[in-house]
Amino acid sequence: MFENVLSTMIFLPIVIGLAAMLIPFSSTAARRIGLLTSLIVLFFGLKVYLGFTGNGQLEFTETRALVESAGIFYRIGVDGISLFVLLTGAALIPIVFVVVKDRPRAFYGSLLVTAGAMAGAICAADLVLFYGFWEIMLIPIFFMIGIYGGPERKAATIKIMLYTVSGSLLMLAAIIYLGVAFHGQYGVWSFETAGLAGLELSDKAAALAFFAFMIAFAIKIPIFPLHTWLPDAYTEAPAAATFLLSAIMAKIGIYAVIRFIMPVFGPELVRYAMPLAWAAVIGLIYCGIAAIGQKDMKRLLAFSSASHMGILALGLFCLNIQALTGSIYQIMAHATSTGLLFLLIGIIEDRLQTREIGDLGGIARQAPVFACFFAVALLASVGLPGTSGFIGEFLIIMGAVKFDTTLGVLTATTLIIGVCYMLWMFQRVFFEKSNDKTQGFADLSICETLAFLPAIVLILLMGVFPQPFIARITPAAQSHIATVQGTGQIAGQVALDHIQPQK
Amino acid sequence: MNCDIVYLLPLFTVTIGAILLMLLSAFESIRLEVASALSIGIFAVAFVIQLVPIGMNDVLPFVSLFNGMLAVNDFTRIASMIIIACGLFTAMSAISYFRQNNFGSLEFFSLMTFAVSGMILLTMAQELITVFIALETVSLSIYVLVGYNRRNILSSEAVLKYLILGAFAGGFFTMGIALVYGALGDTGLAAIAASISRDGLLQNPALAGGLLFILFALFFKVTVFPFHSWVVDVYDGAPMPVTGFMATALKTAIIAVLANVLLLAADIRESWFDMLFYLTVFTLFAGNLIAIGQNSLKRMLAASGIVHTGYLLIALIAVSGDQFSGSVILYYLAAYAASTLGIFASLSYLSGTDEKRKEFKDFRGLAKVRPYSAAAITIFLLSMAGIPPTAGFMGKLYIIITAYQSGQVILAVLGIISSILSMWYYLRLIIAMYFHEADDLFETSGSRSAPVCAFILAICVLALSLYPVAI
Repeated sequence: MFENVLSTMIFLPIVIGLAAMLIPFSSTAARRIGLLTSLIVLFFGLKVYLGFTGNGQLEFTETRALVESAGIFYRIGVDGISLFVLLTGAALIPIVFVVVKDRPRAFYGSLLVTAGAMAGAICAADLVLFYGFWEIMLIPIFFMIGIYGGPERKAATIKIMLYTVSGSLLMLAAIIYLGVAFHGQYGVWSFETAGLAGLELSDKAAALAFFAFMIAFAIKIPIFPLHTWLPDAYTEAPAAATFLLSAIMAKIGIYAVIRFIMPVFGPELVRYAMPLAWAAVIGLIYCGIAAIGQKDMKRLLAFSSASHMGILALGLFCLNIQALTGSIYQIMAHATSTGLLFLLIGIIEDRLQTREIGDLGGIARQAPVFACFFAVALLASVGLPGTSGFIGEFLIIMGAVKFDTTLGVLTATTLIIGVCYMLWMFQRVFFEKSNDKTQGFADLSICETLAFLPAIVLILLMGVFPQPFIARITPAAQSHIATVQGTGQIAGQVALDHIQPQK
Repeated sequence: MNCDIVYLLPLFTVTIGAILLMLLSAFESIRLEVASALSIGIFAVAFVIQLVPIGMNDVLPFVSLFNGMLAVNDFTRIASMIIIACGLFTAMSAISYFRQNNFGSLEFFSLMTFAVSGMILLTMAQELITVFIALETVSLSIYVLVGYNRRNILSSEAVLKYLILGAFAGGFFTMGIALVYGALGDTGLAAIAASISRDGLLQNPALAGGLLFILFALFFKVTVFPFHSWVVDVYDGAPMPVTGFMATALKTAIIAVLANVLLLAADIRESWFDMLFYLTVFTLFAGNLIAIGQNSLKRMLAASGIVHTGYLLIALIAVSGDQFSGSVILYYLAAYAASTLGIFASLSYLSGTDEKRKEFKDFRGLAKVRPYSAAAITIFLLSMAGIPPTAGFMGKLYIIITAYQSGQVILAVLGIISSILSMWYYLRLIIAMYFHEADDLFETSGSRSAPVCAFILAICVLALSLYPVAI
């Protein structure tokens, strides 16, 4: 079963995660097993990275029939875009198992299952398979928030569940519609992403299906005005779950737009790009302003994350190579910086039992390493030159100016809001006077330092030396932009030819 | 013609088993466990016989027996397999329930086996009188089963309600047969089909009226809106295993008959399309609205059964041309039966003595005390709500694909919306089980067969999702 590297990356965590839930390990053993599993996954991820040739096609593919009569296949593979999303996840998840301690084994099990399902959603090249993983990754998150979350967890769980399930079911309707349209056009059942690009849909049907997909992904990203579940869910979720939600799940939303909407709904995307871009910019500004007023660090960061996701989304809708490259780059950059910030805040909460900015102060003196790491992640998040965040944001703004000058200028100028709330928060929490609470704050242990260090190095490396990454992203971005601009029908036709013989 | 008997072997096995069990109940010394094991054995044998298509390979896919009164084909074969499996799992979970509640006698297993034999006959019947006889065999057994707990006042209320309304439905059905016979001089389904495709349905008012009566009687049995009013109270009053049995086996059998009648000729669906369309939509949404308002788990499951009937109706309406989407319907029924029986098997032991736990709030914190039971129930609920990777998801997927394919886009979208609504009450139980602290120890007594049954069904729900179906 596991001769394929990607299948191993998907199913190893799921199987071990389920085992950790069922077999009574001790909590520490479960955490170590989780760490080991995620390191193995990372190892396989590196193997994929090294073996990846970048020929513009899906690589490491594996195809198995699931329900052959209905054209549902277990079909996976990676291309230039999914590779980086996959690697980001694989690289960051081991940190969680080092940092998050003393949770029940079911918690670690859920983390592993989510990680596996996320890898599945990223690698899936069949829409029904993608939908399956998309839902499965939500189920453990649902339990993690509902069982281990903060005081308002029930409301937060119901909110995120209703939002995402409604979005998913809309998407399911559209997926089935595409499958039926494919069957009508070619006489065979198939849900393969590449094949669906060749569909000729009526304008009205295509627009409806486009919005069904778009709403589902916009909820996950989230794009204004579908973001209202986010502050509650991010705040109430335990740090590890918030990390997964912000660092990986939201990025899968962005990735899914590139992967599924761009090839199939190119004309619709061009037609509705302007209103969608405006929604993204409004979200960027609105959530930024909302973040300034927050008293709870985690909630502040939740709004900040929503605000930054607005920039990423904007990069998608500008429909030019610079912006799209920027968005894909920013997927990695933002996942690293925001993910780290949520984990570091989790540490503060663990040690001091509070997240209120007003209760904190002077941590930098007690814990210099901690403060230093926090500062790097924070500066990357606001896009300081020299950090990974700058490259991505710069490319996106460049693309935005090219797309529409007003939007571009607005985006560039409002980035200052992010700097404003982030630095102010940093000042209040890490400088100023320490109080009784923060007096005894212990710095990061050696293990924790070692766990965070690679990510910090990555942030700086991506900031000063972006070319190796950009070089691999640009061809994929180019081909997607070409697809959207209408030359993509041919690619779809080619892909179709090799699935036809099944009949 | 002597090989005809071979096709009826499962039916004979079950019927002879039922008579044997009835005779055995004369002996007081026989323990309940023995009767339960015996009925499980009978069902297992019948299931295996049905599984191996004896003599099916060398004949036509559609075999009619007894001068066209019965027919055997893949549809009836699989429908009876589902029914027999329902009987098997009910017999398994019933024993735990009876031990825990200190009632129950040997006749229970005999009556249930009789009901199953009637249901098998129902799936095969190709003639209205045969359908009626089979229907009454089933109904009579089930009336008794519903009121089996004589000490419980709710049970008595339920049986009275069901008996009176069921008698009305039976009356409707006979009235329908009379009209059809008056119009055609024949009660065979083949004759009806021939007449409709020759003259059209509405050209022959007596025939149309008769069929309408018959449809309404069947709609009553599968709880289609507006014939659903009895279901919540009856399911609530009946003992837990009986409710599970009614919700699954009975529904499978009646849907099989309904499919036989509705799909006789394309003209039936075309002439009454508007009526069927609105009945389906109202069934979906009435079921959801009723289920949202319930505090009792049993009542919620009863109401959600109405919604599932709605999904099956979508599949029945959305048959494109004369091509029969039997496999989609059967798959959905199998998926639904596995999850529903599973949840009733879990409730059979978790509800405790005298069903003291049957509201949502009684199950708070179950996951903390009995994590495996809670996990099994979660799997069943996710399947009923249609979330992958469960069988329920694939079932809904197939039904919605069928609907799209036959151009019923509105039905497909309404089906999806109804699925969103249904999340509300399925999630409510999951939330109660997982997100609250336990204030109950969930102690149970009785045998371990119901937990084993729930465990097997949970695996079935996951395994079925990979079972391929031809669309």
